[in-house]
Amino acid sequence: MAELLEREDLLAQLGALRVDGGRLVFVGGEAGVGKTVLVREFTARVAGRVLQGSCENLTTPTPYGPFLDVGVPTEGEPRHVAAALLRGLERTRLLVLEDVHWADEATLDVLRVLGRRIESTDALVLATYRDDEVDGSHPLRVVLGELTSAPAVSRLSVPRLSLGAIGELAEPHGADVEAIHRLTQGNAFYVTEILAAGDGVLPETVRDAVLARAARLAPDARLLLDAVSVVPARAELWLLEEVAAAELEHLDACIASGVLRADGDAVAFRHELARLAIESALKPHRRRYLNAAILAALRPAGDYSRLAHHAAAAGDSAAVVEYATEAGRQAAAASSHREAAAQYASALRHADGIEASARAALLDAYAEEAHVTGLYAEAVEARRAALDLYHALDDPLREGYTLSRLTIAYIRLGRNAEAEEASRGAIRLLETLPPGRELACAYADQAYARMLSRDNAEGVAWGEKAVAAAAALGDSTILAYGLNMIGTSYVMSGEIDRGVEYLLQSLDVARSEELEVWVVSALGMLGSGLGEMVELELSERFLRECITFSEDHEITPSYSQAWLALVQVYRGRWEEGARLASAVLARTPDPISRISALIALGRLRARRGDPGALDALDEALESARPGGHLQRLGHVHAARAEAAWLAGDATRTVQEAATAYPLALEKRHLWFAGELAYWQWKAGALDDAPEWIAEPYRLQLAGDAAGAAAAWRNRLCPYEAARSLADAGDEGALAELDALRARPAAAALRRRLGLRGPRDSTRGNPAGLTARELDVLRLVAAGKRNADVADELVVSPRTVDHHVSAILRKLRVRTRGEAAVAAAELGLLQDR
Amino acid sequence: MDTFVILRRSGWRSGEELQEAAARSTAEGERMPEDIRWIRSYVLEEADGVGTVCIYQASSPEAIRAHAAAAELPIDEIVRVADTVVVRPDPQPAV
Repeated sequence: MAELLEREDLLAQLGALRVDGGRLVFVGGEAGVGKTVLVREFTARVAGRVLQGSCENLTTPTPYGPFLDVGVPTEGEPRHVAAALLRGLERTRLLVLEDVHWADEATLDVLRVLGRRIESTDALVLATYRDDEVDGSHPLRVVLGELTSAPAVSRLSVPRLSLGAIGELAEPHGADVEAIHRLTQGNAFYVTEILAAGDGVLPETVRDAVLARAARLAPDARLLLDAVSVVPARAELWLLEEVAAAELEHLDACIASGVLRADGDAVAFRHELARLAIESALKPHRRRYLNAAILAALRPAGDYSRLAHHAAAAGDSAAVVEYATEAGRQAAAASSHREAAAQYASALRHADGIEASARAALLDAYAEEAHVTGLYAEAVEARRAALDLYHALDDPLREGYTLSRLTIAYIRLGRNAEAEEASRGAIRLLETLPPGRELACAYADQAYARMLSRDNAEGVAWGEKAVAAAAALGDSTILAYGLNMIGTSYVMSGEIDRGVEYLLQSLDVARSEELEVWVVSALGMLGSGLGEMVELELSERFLRECITFSEDHEITPSYSQAWLALVQVYRGRWEEGARLASAVLARTPDPISRISALIALGRLRARRGDPGALDALDEALESARPGGHLQRLGHVHAARAEAAWLAGDATRTVQEAATAYPLALEKRHLWFAGELAYWQWKAGALDDAPEWIAEPYRLQLAGDAAGAAAAWRNRLCPYEAARSLADAGDEGALAELDALRARPAAAALRRRLGLRGPRDSTRGNPAGLTARELDVLRLVAAGKRNADVADELVVSPRTVDHHVSAILRKLRVRTRGEAAVAAAELGLLQDR
Repeated sequence: MDTFVILRRSGWRSGEELQEAAARSTAEGERMPEDIRWIRSYVLEEADGVGTVCIYQASSPEAIRAHAAAAELPIDEIVRVADTVVVRPDPQPAV
């Protein structure tokens, strides 16, 4: 096999991973580099059964596509499919998933679970993907990003062939090795195709090479190849009998020539690149004809994604509407929301002829899936189209409900005036009808809009209407929603205990009725709301609970993680805060989560004196602006005022703080009004602030620095506590600021006191050992091996080797045992 | 990746300690190749030992701090490099 040159290293690595087991390995490489060939060779060498599935290059992939062949039930939620798969992997210890860059959303969710749970099994899972196609916004990239921290997940890269390997392959053909290398850049599939095409003239592209090779087949064999080329992945033999019976006798010739390969009861191109080359060379009418024939043959089988694909390619609009709608329903049921939205969109594009009520229903279905996927602008557009239809159909209930859904979509887009109009419209319309779920929901939506604007009293009032209506209907979802809004509004007004009580009630309802989304929402609101009110200990507890619950239920907890980053920054745990914020930013495009993570990072960089504070806070401001909500703008402008102050720019400090201050006063936000007043006061632009602002700021502005510092310590904010003392020129603040490595604040205080700064130091104690060397020594003295020490300290084993030799040198001993004895004699083993 | 200058003034008592730190730095840098690349360092003669000015490429200042924490390296200041002007190649290194 040509592509197997230069692959022994990779095969050996895979072999070692299989022996260890409990691993998910992503095998990456460009199309045609030889990933599949590598994995096939590996599975062929392994004794025992192998589970295999592959993702198909359909316009919109089938939910759980690759698992259909694996023999697990592929219905319901991804975590259930993943659980069944993990059970299956106890018996069959090897699973190969091909081409996961084409995977549907539900399959990617299963991969997420596998990545986190595979460690508990003995199995090896290999997932191949085209790494050059997985760019910034690709869904697989998001999964890969999330799994980078999972210890049982790794990546393997299949490299291109070297000049030497090409020489070896080309030698029997007497071909021009250098020219082939230049042309193919070492792409194994391309090299093979060129050598198979023969003919002296080198084909300029892979496509040319494939076509040259196919051109050597008999004309009827080529017709068969055409039919196979319009079937993504693999063409079943029974299907070919239906659509290309006359040419089927040439199948053996196609296989013998190496263009096709047999695959059980089906045939497939040797590579997807070859299929695409042949398909792209088809005349349009012939492609339509073949797709129509395949559509007719596939109808009884009822695979809706496949049918929708061929219906679209055959230009059969009625069939597209029918099958894409069904495929969308199936995808939505499997939580493949991206695919569901794509199927409904495709149905809508072909739905010109259908009647109004059916079209409105299709628009509803599309808007729902678009919303879940985060395509809010598209959801708005679809809802508005549906709105016109329901109005024309004189269906006020559906019209009112659509307005209520539109409210939420507008809120997500930060289009608050339109959200308000839609919300009022929904209530007005639905109040003319007998009370029902739609009206209760519209009340809760209005409470949500008021809560977000921090109009807390109104948030409570509308929330109570929603709760009363929901209770009368016995609707637990809207009950949980309404209680949540009341509780959050109370928290934001500073009535912490009362707010927490309502939120816990909402949590209870959600838990007992298994409303996962509302469990996450209640925990998230408790965490973020208490964080905004600087109740950090309680906030952290709920955030951690939210993250754990979310992960157990396969919900990505970006917002809670971003808030936890902020809480850690405020608590002085800066490394942890940096790690969490960076992880959120690397993973999520969701602006709401990003804003919190960016504020955490911006504050951190400013406080450390590191570059890039403004980069982070510029993006945060950009994302916060459309909504115009105090909860984001107040927070962002406070952080920007702080960064400006620490950069020595008093003018900008005042500008930033003054921008959001009036809004914070209007909404009576204790903490934002407090911090924004503080920065203006510090820059000399404000003399006093209302009495009701948060206590530490009130004390600070009243000139009681020691009282403010004590209040900050009670709130678990060491940096703010030290800053209060530093404001009063208290030298006692230096130790805390140095320990936090808060360079700008410490430097400013030293300048004021006429002191010289110390250098940052990792220098050792009198015995000559650094803090980290002492950590290593304690573990070594406890009998741990270097590898265990490395795991425990989260550093490379080589770093531990270096530490151990430094310890031996400094203690003037030769062995680890002697080091332990010397350490004990010097009294170095006590805990610090 | 951006380019950064990292000041580690008077970080070590001796050249020997610095060499050990350099070995740890390399080992930890190899664990995060997508986030950090050590380009070069200038060793500073200081009153009480040696320090360094290091040139790194990194994905963020947080990556530099995470690397420094793992390799036990001090940081006085991180500055982002806006541009590079090379007039002459560096003098021959000592080693």
